[in-house]
Amino acid sequence: MDRPAAGSSYQRFPRVRIRELKDDYAKFELRDTDASIANALRRVMIAEVPTVAIDLVEIEVNSSVLNDEFIAHRLGLIPLTSAAAMQMRFSRDCDACDGDGSCEYCSVEFNLSARATDSDQTLEVTSNDLRSADPKVCPVDQARAYQLALSGNDYDPNAERGILIVKLRRGQELRLRAIARKGIGKDHAKWSPAATVTFMYEPDILINEELMDTLTFDEKRSWVESSPTKVFDLSANGKVTVCDAEAYTYDDEVIKKAEAMGKPGLVEINAKEDSFIFTVETTGAITAYELIMNAITVLRQKLDAIGLQDDDGDLGELGAHLGGP
Amino acid sequence: MTVPPPGDDAAKKDKDVPPPSYRSLAAPVANPVDKFALLPAFLKVRGLVKEHIDSFNYFITRGIRNIIQANNRIEARNDPNIYLRYTNVHVGTPSVQVDYKVEEITPHFCRLTDRTYSAPIKVDIEYTVGKQHELQFKRNVLIGYMPIMLRSYACILHGKDEAELARLGECPLDPGGYFIVKGTEKVILIQEQLSKNRIIIDTDSKGRVIASVTSSTHEIKSKTVITLDKEKIYLQLNQFTKPIPIIVVMKAMGMESDQEVVQMVGRDPRYGDLLFPSIQECASERIYTQQQALQYMDEKVTYPGAGNQKEGRSKSILRDVFIAHVPVKNGNFRQKCIYTGVMLRRMMDAILNANTFDDKDYVGNKRLELSGQLISLLFEDLFKTMNSQAVELMNKNSDKTRSSPSDFSQLIKHESITSGLERAISTGNWDIKRFRMHRKGVSQVLSRLSYMASLGYMTRITPQFEKTRKTSGPRALQPSQWGMLCPCDTPEGEACGLTKNLALLTHVTTDQEEGPLMNLCKSLGVEDLSLLSGEEIHAPGSFLVMFNGLILGKHRQPQTFANAMRNLRRSGKIGEFVSIFVNEKQHCIHIASDGGRVCRPLIIADKGISRVKEHHMKELRDGVRSFDDFLRDGLIEYLDVNEENNALIALYEHVDQDDVERSSITHIEIEPLSILGVVSGLIPYPHHNQSPRNTYQCAMGKQAMGNIAYNQLFRADSLLYLLVYAQRPLLTTKTIELVGYDKLGAGQNATVAVMGYSGYDIEDAIVMNKSSLDRGFGRCIAMKKYTVIKEYYGEGVSDRIAKPQRDKDGALVKQNMRALDEDGIAAPGQIIRNHDVYVNKQSPKVIDRRGAGAPLMDRDYKDSPAIYKGVDGETTVVDRVMLCSDTNEKLSIKCIIRHTRRPEVGDKFSSRHGQKGVCGTIVQQEDFPFSERGICPDLIMNPHGFPSRMTIGKMIELIGGKAGVSCGRFHYGSAFGEPSGNADKVEDISNTLIKHGFSYNGKDFLYSGILGHPLEAYIFMGPIYYQKLKHMVLDKMHARASGPRVLLTRQPTEGRSRDGGLRLGEMERDCLIAYGASMLIFERLLLSSDPYQVQVCRKCGLLGYYNYKLKTSYCSMCKNGENMAKMRLPYACKLLFQELQSMNVVPRLKLTEG
Repeated sequence: MDRPAAGSSYQRFPRVRIRELKDDYAKFELRDTDASIANALRRVMIAEVPTVAIDLVEIEVNSSVLNDEFIAHRLGLIPLTSAAAMQMRFSRDCDACDGDGSCEYCSVEFNLSARATDSDQTLEVTSNDLRSADPKVCPVDQARAYQLALSGNDYDPNAERGILIVKLRRGQELRLRAIARKGIGKDHAKWSPAATVTFMYEPDILINEELMDTLTFDEKRSWVESSPTKVFDLSANGKVTVCDAEAYTYDDEVIKKAEAMGKPGLVEINAKEDSFIFTVETTGAITAYELIMNAITVLRQKLDAIGLQDDDGDLGELGAHLGGP
Repeated sequence: MTVPPPGDDAAKKDKDVPPPSYRSLAAPVANPVDKFALLPAFLKVRGLVKEHIDSFNYFITRGIRNIIQANNRIEARNDPNIYLRYTNVHVGTPSVQVDYKVEEITPHFCRLTDRTYSAPIKVDIEYTVGKQHELQFKRNVLIGYMPIMLRSYACILHGKDEAELARLGECPLDPGGYFIVKGTEKVILIQEQLSKNRIIIDTDSKGRVIASVTSSTHEIKSKTVITLDKEKIYLQLNQFTKPIPIIVVMKAMGMESDQEVVQMVGRDPRYGDLLFPSIQECASERIYTQQQALQYMDEKVTYPGAGNQKEGRSKSILRDVFIAHVPVKNGNFRQKCIYTGVMLRRMMDAILNANTFDDKDYVGNKRLELSGQLISLLFEDLFKTMNSQAVELMNKNSDKTRSSPSDFSQLIKHESITSGLERAISTGNWDIKRFRMHRKGVSQVLSRLSYMASLGYMTRITPQFEKTRKTSGPRALQPSQWGMLCPCDTPEGEACGLTKNLALLTHVTTDQEEGPLMNLCKSLGVEDLSLLSGEEIHAPGSFLVMFNGLILGKHRQPQTFANAMRNLRRSGKIGEFVSIFVNEKQHCIHIASDGGRVCRPLIIADKGISRVKEHHMKELRDGVRSFDDFLRDGLIEYLDVNEENNALIALYEHVDQDDVERSSITHIEIEPLSILGVVSGLIPYPHHNQSPRNTYQCAMGKQAMGNIAYNQLFRADSLLYLLVYAQRPLLTTKTIELVGYDKLGAGQNATVAVMGYSGYDIEDAIVMNKSSLDRGFGRCIAMKKYTVIKEYYGEGVSDRIAKPQRDKDGALVKQNMRALDEDGIAAPGQIIRNHDVYVNKQSPKVIDRRGAGAPLMDRDYKDSPAIYKGVDGETTVVDRVMLCSDTNEKLSIKCIIRHTRRPEVGDKFSSRHGQKGVCGTIVQQEDFPFSERGICPDLIMNPHGFPSRMTIGKMIELIGGKAGVSCGRFHYGSAFGEPSGNADKVEDISNTLIKHGFSYNGKDFLYSGILGHPLEAYIFMGPIYYQKLKHMVLDKMHARASGPRVLLTRQPTEGRSRDGGLRLGEMERDCLIAYGASMLIFERLLLSSDPYQVQVCRKCGLLGYYNYKLKTSYCSMCKNGENMAKMRLPYACKLLFQELQSMNVVPRLKLTEG
C-alpha cells in the first residue's frame, strides 16, 4: 500500500470546544479543520448514527378513525430511547433469529392496547400507552417521565402528555403489537436521531474604527440597526462594538448599508475557513453527546473501511452501514 | 386636469393609519366602515349554492302548483262529466316504500345503497265515480317520486345544525344543491341562454341588420326575425317559405294605413326614408287591405295544412307564432302592431347609429336556467303524459264496457313520472318532445375529487351553443361579467370562455309574480298604449315601459317612475330581485321580474356616502342584525346586470377614484374580492399574478388531493383520493375561510427553496427531500370501490358466495384466497395483492332450471370469483366491505380497497399559482442545502419557473408564509385586499421578517449539504402551499414486451388497461425512414406486430391454404397446389385481401424472385 502523500503531510489536529451541552442540545466549536470534515460529521449525524424505531406493526384491533398504515406510520416516527442502539444488531444480519426480527439482539417488542370506555371524553392514545418489552428502549417521553420521577422533585405525571398517536371515541379500540428495530436515517427519517444538525462558519468581523469615527451617532445607529440580527452594539458614547459575531447570518446587509452610506470598507467580514460552530439538537432518542460521539465512531469506522478496502474488501462492521453484504 | 396616480391615495392613507398592532386590529375601525363582515353574513343566509336551492325550492313550492293548476282537469272524451280534478299538490319528505311500508330515508343512506333520494309527490283530487257521476274526494294520492335536491325545503337536511347533520352522516360543509339518483350524486348544471322575449338587434352572417325575438310562453316557443335586405324590411318566420315584406304584415294585422305604420315607428323623417322602399314594395304588390295582405301571406305558408282553415292560415300564424309572447285579446292585434313598430324603430336606430346594436354576449341579455326550471319542464311533460295516458285508458275502457265507467283515480299511474325524472337526471338527457328540447349532458356526476372540485361544479355555467364555433366573441371576457361571473375560472381548450363560473356573491333570480307588479306600474302612472296613437307613443320625453319584454305602456316622467319603483323595492314592498333599468338610448324603462337573471348585492350610497354605518356593522357582529335586515332596511340591494348601468359603483367609500364626482356615486361594492369565484378565491394574491396563471390554478385546484368532506371515510365513492396529512394554507384568503377550505384543505405547506439543484429540476420538475417524504409529506390514500352483485336468476337459482376451500390441515387450497374471510368475502384490514380473490362467488352452471326440482349441489356451481387487479409489489388493504340489497333486491357487495402511497418520481405537484411540476428526483436530507438555523427545505424549485410565468403572487406567498410561521399569525392574501386590509402588504411582511432575524427579501444564506461550503447566492426560501394532483405515476406507468392481441387483426391491443403495446406511429416511422433504418422499420412494422405466413398462388395471385394432413399447400381458385409459394405478410394485410374479395374486388399478388 503506497500512498502518494510523500513529502508534506496534510494531517491536522482539529480541536473541539464544547460551549453548551444539555441532554438534547449541544453547541460546540470545531477548529483547525476544513468544511469537508465538518460536513462529514454533520452528514453522519443526520443519516448514519443508528437508533431504534418501530418498524413492524401487527394490528389486532383498530376501530379508530385512522387506518392501519396511518397508525403504523405515526408509530414509526415516535423517537425511542436508543442508547443501546450502537450495540444492537441490524435485524437483516442478525443470525440469532433468521432475520425475521424478533429476538433480543435485534428487536424490541412493544404492545399497545387502548379502548375508550363509555364516557363522552375522547381518549387520547399517546406514546405513553406503548408498553415496551425492554425497559432500555421506550418512547422518549416515558423515559423522561421516569427520570423525573426518579429525581423525585416536583414530578407531575400529567405534565408529560406523550406523543399523540390517535384519538379514540367512545367504543373505539386500538390493539397492536409493534417491533422496533435498529436502523439508520439514510433508510428512513424515523431512524435519524438528529432534529437539527447545522453548522456555520465563524465570522471574523473587523470594524474600520477610523472610518467609523467619521459617522455621526445617528448614522451609526442606523448602520447598527440595518442588520436584521443583533450583531453590533452601540454604546451611549457612540462606540460601535461587535456584541455577538455569531448572530451574523452572512446577509451582507451591513456591508450594503455601509456602501449606501458612502463608506465602503466600514466593516470587513470574513468567514473563518477553518472553524465551525455546530448546533446539534436531537430527537431525544440519544443524547446530544452520544450523537456526536457515535457519529465520530461511525465516521471512524467508515475511514477504517476505506483503509481496509485494498486488503480484502471486507468492510467489517461498516459493511452493514453501507448496506453491503 | 392631472389625475393623481392611484398609489398616491394609498400612500397618503398609510401615513394616517398606524401600522397594525394587536390592539389596533381588535379595536373597531372608526372610518372607513369595515364592511367585510357582510360577506360571511351573506353566505350564511344564502349559502354557496343558494341559486340552485332557491330555484328548486321555487319549483317544489310554487312551480309544481302552477303546472298542476294549469292542467288540473282531465275528462273522458265521450263524456265530459266523467272527470278528475287536481285540487292540491305537495311534495312530501324523502322516503322509500319497502314492502308496503313507507320508510324515511337520508341522503347518506341513498349514497351507500344506490337508491334515489326522492320524495313522493302527492295530490288531492276530486273525481267522479259510477254512472251517476258521484263526486268523490281523495287526499294524498301518489303521482310519482321526485328526486330531491339536498338542503332544499323538502330535504331532511334543511335547517339542521352541525350536530344533527353529523348524526345523519352528512358533512356540514357540503353545500347541497345536487341530487342523489341511483346512489350517484348528480348536479344539474346551470345552463346559459339568450334571454327570452327580448328584442335583440344584431347583424347576421351576411351583414344584414336583423331584429330577432325568441318568444317563449307556456304554449309555444317561436323565433321571429325581421331583416333589412336591400333596403327593404322583411319578416322571417319558419312558417313562411319566403320573407314577407313587413308592411304586408302590418296590413295583415289590421294597420292598413301607411301613415299609421310610419307614426308607429316614429315621425322622424329619417325613419320614413328607411321605411319608404318597404312601403313602395308593398304598394307595387298591390296590397292595400288586410284581406289582400292575408291572402298574399297565405300563399307563402310552408305547410299549407297547418292552421285554422276558417280564418286563414296566416292569420292564425300571426296570432300564435309571430312574436308569440305578445298576447292577442279578442282578435285585437294592436299590441302586436305596437311591438312590431318598436322592433322596427330599434332596427332603424341601429342603422342610423351603429352603437345601438345589442351585444349577444352581454350578460344582461343572458338568462341562466337552473335545476328548478329544467325539472319543471320535465315534470310538466311527464305530468301531461300521465294525464293523457289516463284519458287514453279511460277511453279504451269505456269503448269496451259501456256498463260502468271506471273512475280516473284508478288510472293514474305513478311509475311514469318517477322513472321519467330519474332517467333524465341520471343520464343527463333532457328529451322533451312537447317543448322540442333535446339536450345532452344537462346533469353531470358531482366530482368528489376534492372539496373544491365539488364546489366548482355547483357554480359552473355551461353554454347552450356548440363548442366548435371558432368565434372569439362569446369566449372573450365581457365587462358586464364584473362581479357576476368569475373572470378567472374557465377551462382551457375548446370550452375556454364558454363554460363560466359564478362569482362569490352572485345570485340567480327565480320567477316572480307579474300581475301585482303590472298593476303597481299602472298605478304609478304608466299609461296604457291601447288608448294612444303612434304619435303619442313616441312623443319626446316619454319613455316606453317594458315589463319582462312586453310593452306595458309609456310614462312621461321616467326618472320619477324609476325612483318610485326602486324605493318600493328598497322598502321591501316588491321583491328584492325586481330590476328597474332606465335605458336612455332606447327611451325605455325595462322592468324585469323574470327568473334566471344574475344579480349581486351592493351597498346603497347616497351621494357617495354609504348607508351602512359602523353601528350597523356592530349590530351585525353582535348578531342582532342579519343580512336580510340590511336588505329590508334599504341599506343593501340587489342589482342585476342591466340595472348596474344606471348605477355608479365605487370600490371603496373612503378612496377617491380618478376624477369621479363623489356625489354621483350611487352604490359601493361590498368587497372587491367578490368579483372572483369560489375556486379562484383560494389563490393568494391573485391580483399579482399573470392572469392565465390564475386560470390554470382554477383547473388544477379541482385535481388536488386533500380532504373531501367530514364524512369522507364513510362514503362509498368509486374512487377517492385523500391526503394523509392535509393542512390549512399558511397564507390564506378571506374566501378560503368563507368556503371552508381551511377545514378541508387540499395540500401541505412545504418549505420551498428556489434554486437549481442536481439538474433533475429542469422543465418545472421539483426536487423533493426524502426525509420529508418519510415524515409524511405528500402521502396520500387512494380508495377504490369494487362492486360484486350476487345475481339472482329466478326460481331459487342464484349465485352463491362460498367460503374458501381448505385442505385437511386447514391450509388454503388456493393461495389467492388468503384475503378472504370465512364468509367468502375479503376481510377488512387484510392485505390484498394482485390476482387475489376478494369475493369468492360461484355461479350455477345451468341457469335455466325449469322443471328440475332437485336442489342445486356443489357440482352444479362453477367458480366466478372477483379477482383484484392491482399493481404487483404494492401493498393494498381491504378498507371496508359493505353489503346491501340494491334496487332490484339483489345482494350487492362493495369492497373498498385502500392504498397508501408516498410520492415517487413522476408524481405531479402544483402550487396555487398555476405552476405545476413533476417530482424529478428524491434526494436525501443530508444532501439538501441547510441554513445555519438548521432549516432544510422540503422541496426545491427551479427559478426558471418565474421569469416567463410572472407569478409574483407565489413570491409574496412565500415571504408571507415565512413571516407567518415566524410570528405565528396566518397571513392573508385576498384578491385586491391590500387597501381594505384583507391582504398583508409586502412592506409589512418584510418588517415582520426583519423582526424575526430574516432578510427582508425572504432570501437566506444556505450551505451546500453535499460539500458543506456556503452557496454562492442567497436562496429565496420559505413555505408555499403545495397541492398534490391526482395524476400519479403508479396509475399511468405502462410497458409491455409481448402480450395480448386483438382477435380480428392479431395486432397488439391498445391502451394501458388492456396491457397494450406501444405503437410505433406514423411520425416515428417517418423518423426511421429519414434515418434509413430499414431493418428496424421492417422489424417493428412486420415482425413485432402481426406476422403471418400465407400461401400464395403464383399463377392466379390469390391466397391459398396449407393442408396440414397432406402437408401441401393448395390454391382453391386454381384447384391445384402446383404454383404455391410461401410468404410472410402482416395478418392485417391478409385480412384486407379477404375482405376485399368478399366485396368482389380481387387483389392479386404478383410474386417475383427476390
